[in-house]
Order: sequence, then C-alpha cells, then structure tokens
Amino acid sequence: MGENKYFKLHTRQKYDTSSLIVVWNQDVGKLGPRVSAYLAKELKARVLGEISPEGFFSLSGVTVENDVAQFPESRFYGGQNKNLVIFKSDIPRSDWYGFIKLLLYVAEKTFKVKQILTIGGMVLPGAHTSPRTILSIVNSASIKRALSSLDVVHDMDYETRDDQRPTFSSYLIWAAKNRNIPGTCLWAPIPFYLMTLEDPQACKKILELLNGYLGLRISYARIDDEVTEQNLKIARIRREFPELDGYISKLESNQGLTAEEGEKLVKELDVLLRSSHQA
Amino acid sequence: MGTIIRKRPKLSNPVLVACWPGIGNIGIMAVDLLRRMLGAEELGEIEPWDFFYPKKVLIRDGELQDLEFPENKFYFKKTGKRDLLFFIGEEQPSDSGASYAEGTKAYKMANLVLDVAQKFGCRRIYTSGAAVAPIHHTTLSRVWVVPNSESLLEEIKDYENTVLMSEVEGRDGQGNITGLNGLLLGVAKKRGLEAICVMGEIPIYVHGFPIPYPKGSKAVLEVLTAALGVVIPMDEIDGLIRQSDTEIESVYEKLPAEIKEQLDKLKYIVYSKPPKPITEEDKKKILQELDKLFRKDTGRD
Repeated sequence: MGENKYFKLHTRQKYDTSSLIVVWNQDVGKLGPRVSAYLAKELKARVLGEISPEGFFSLSGVTVENDVAQFPESRFYGGQNKNLVIFKSDIPRSDWYGFIKLLLYVAEKTFKVKQILTIGGMVLPGAHTSPRTILSIVNSASIKRALSSLDVVHDMDYETRDDQRPTFSSYLIWAAKNRNIPGTCLWAPIPFYLMTLEDPQACKKILELLNGYLGLRISYARIDDEVTEQNLKIARIRREFPELDGYISKLESNQGLTAEEGEKLVKELDVLLRSSHQA
Repeated sequence: MGTIIRKRPKLSNPVLVACWPGIGNIGIMAVDLLRRMLGAEELGEIEPWDFFYPKKVLIRDGELQDLEFPENKFYFKKTGKRDLLFFIGEEQPSDSGASYAEGTKAYKMANLVLDVAQKFGCRRIYTSGAAVAPIHHTTLSRVWVVPNSESLLEEIKDYENTVLMSEVEGRDGQGNITGLNGLLLGVAKKRGLEAICVMGEIPIYVHGFPIPYPKGSKAVLEVLTAALGVVIPMDEIDGLIRQSDTEIESVYEKLPAEIKEQLDKLKYIVYSKPPKPITEEDKKKILQELDKLFRKDTGRD
C-alpha cells in the first residue's frame, strides 16, 4: 500500500513478515510509551509511516498536558530489524472501528504483520515489591500455545462490568481475530501508587517478555539503572516518612488500605517522587 | 455500514415505532415493553461496528471469545389491522462520544432506520422520549406530542392526556427534541413521511439522576397503544411504578424541609397558570440539594 488520504508512508523498506507491537499513549503508568521509547532507542528505530488524525480525533484545538500542548499521533516505527514494527498512538476519540480497520490494513499490506502484541499497564492493588506477573489475553489458540512457555498468566476468565467498557486493545485483537491475525494483549501490573508516575519495573518485565518471545537481543542496562534508582528513592521516602512506610508495609503483608490511606499514599508519593526526579 | 434483514414478512400498512435510550429511559421502557407485550418477532439489525464502541468483552481461559456491541434491532408484529415495525437502539450513536446522538453517525443511523421502514411500506413513524417538566412525582405525567407536519395536529389533539408545545407554559410552541428520537422526525420530514414524537413528563428534580421514571413511560404507553389500536396488560409497568415511587419517596423524605416545601409547590402546578412558580434560584438550590443527596446514596454502594 502506498500513501493515501489517511496514511502516509515514510520508508521504502520492504517487509516480508513482522510482529507488530502496539502501545497507546493513554496508559497506566505510561507503560506502553515507555516500552516503545526504550525499544525504539535500542533498535535505532525511526518513523516508518503515520495515520492521519483527521476523522479519528477532535481537531478543534489542542489539549495541554503538563503545560505542553499535545497533538494526537499514530505512528509506525521500525529499525534495522525488519521483523518488528512498533505502532504508538493516541486512542482515537471517534470512528474507532474505522481506525482499527485502517491500522490492520496498513499492518497487513505494508508491513506484512503476522502477529500483534499490545502492551498495557493494569492497576495492581499491592506493593511495588510484590512479584509481578504479566497477564496475557489472546485471540487464538495458536498464539496461546506460542506464549505458553513464557512467564505469563494465560488462563484468566473475565467479563466487562456493566459500568465499564472493553479496552481499545481488546477491541483491536478482536478485529485482528476476524482477519485471522493472531494477537495478544499483554498487561503488566503497576502498583496503584505509581500509576500517575512511571514504573520501570513493569517496563522491564514487558521488555524481558518481548526479548524472550521475539528474540530482540536488547540490553537491559538502562532499564536496570532506572529500576535501581526508583527503588532507592522509594526506600529513602519510606525511611523519611514512617506513615507512608506503614501503608506500603501493610500492602506488603497483604493488608488493604482504607480509601483515605490509599489516597494519601498516592498523593504524597507522587509529590515526593516527582520532586526527587527534579532534584 | 449497513443493515441485516433476516425475514421478509409481508406487512400491511405498517407503522414504525422507533426508540433510543434517553432521559429517565422513559421512551425506551415504553417502546420495549410494548414490543415484548405484543410478542413482536425479530426482523433484523443495523450493523453496530461503525456506530458504537463495544460494550463488553468476554474472556474465557485467557482467550478472547467475544466482543459485544450495543444492539440496534428491528422487530415486527402482524396485528391483523395496521401491522407494526419496531426499532429499538440500545445506545445513541455520536461522533463525539456524547450520550445523545449527534453528527454524521446519528444522521446515518436515522437514514438506515428509515430505509428499512420504507422498504416494508411504512408511511408513519412514532418516536418516544422524555419531557422534563415542572411536575411533582406524585402527579400524573402528561405526554408532550410533537408532529413533523402541521397536517397531523388535528389528529394529535384527539390523543388523551397530551399537550402540544404551545400548551406548555412559557414555551410558546417552541422547543427542541435532543438526540435520535428527535432527529428521526426531521429525517422523516425530509423524506415526506409522517412522524410523531411522544414524550412522557419527568419531574425536573428527577431527570438528572440515573434512575428510570416508569410513570412517564406508562403515560407514553397509553398514548401509543391508543394511537396504534392495540391493547396490552399494564401489570408490569404498574409494578415498576410502585417500585420507583418507593425509591423516589425514600429520597424525598431525606430532603431538608425547606427544599421539600419548594418541591411541594409542584403538586399544584397547572399548565399555563402556575399559582406561584419556583424561581430559577429555587430550582438551582433544589437541584444542588438533590445532587448532594444522590451522591451520598451512591457513595454507600
């Protein structure tokens, strides 16, 4: 497929077969964008193409986040490894099915995608020190078999609650299933008190899984540094703020927090971690 | 973007009754109950993918089994006289994700519904919704009726317990009907089809809360059954009214005396000549009190 009104291709590179990693900018703990940024740097990836925001996003102005004007992006990235393409995008605000159809069309026709892996964070009601296991939702038995040797939970039963809606990732792999493209949603748990910040530990968990499954041969050096740094910061905060330490300790011993305690932990840790980032 | 029609019944001079959810679920509750009570059969549906975000995912043993979308179904009932077609939408389509239909998606859906209606020979359409009115929940809901053509006014005046916009105090015959229950009237007009929207009254202080108002639905049902020449048992809707009365009364009892006093004035309001209307300031205060009360109730769940 070449260019058209809704898709612009920026590469002449030809693809024979590839896996597509999909991340959304609106993600718990910014996990998806963090994973894609890490991979892009490791794989020396650049922009391969992009989907136009027209028809999928409100273009009546711009939103401002953290003092900076934002604009929706929906871009494909790739590097030397022609077996891997990353799609990083905002979740569309309208014509969701049209967006998914276009994404799958480009994935199949241009990048010859044979499987899709979406990455996302899910809220963990426990502590950051508790073991993290990736949860996998698949759209076919074949990809379930392929993932079975990895350290993932792949036997979950779930139905959307009446007051909720399915995730856009579920929507994508459902549509992929209808095109016979195997797909999986990989969900990494992120402690609730880190969901407004970043969680390098969850990021590493996903990177390890992708490395093992797709044979990417990426280095963990940078993410290891980030994990160590954040753990040290939280340890220091726990020493300096016994009340917060008490809350985290309760979570570590599988005790729940009251709504008030949980709120306090989220708010105060957010401020302390952000200020230590700036320091 | 299309429709799937699974049966091809031969219908005699059919009337379409179409409805989407709206305030207090007044219209949808009435139309869906009418469809069920008449035992209407499923005819087909509008493909949902291009209109709606999915509403439910079903995962079993880690495998995504199904994704459910809001349903938009057609039904039919042969009555022996004027046959009936029903269209019931589970959600209103919207380009911006708003609760009420707007934009190109809404217009497309309205046209798809009318395409099917015309295919089966419909020349008359009824839609239904809610009319937010300065009434008390212990009083009878009336039905505001809006046709899409002047020629229907005389017929409408014969419907019992109804009012035209011009008979509603302060409206001077003007107003608007939000969402597809209104839009369908306009699209039908464009196609030269007769259409009438019947809207059951809901008290102004109840309309903003996420609870149905079956009293308004019953008023709509009475108008629709009379207009369509059908009879249905009302036991189910009466049961829902009793239940809703108890729920609303329990909230009402918790209101501060001052607010209740204001709301009690609504018991005596008569169209066009309310004895001492509630002021805008009163209305704001009442809604704030109710909002607080409902939020408190929700917080306990």
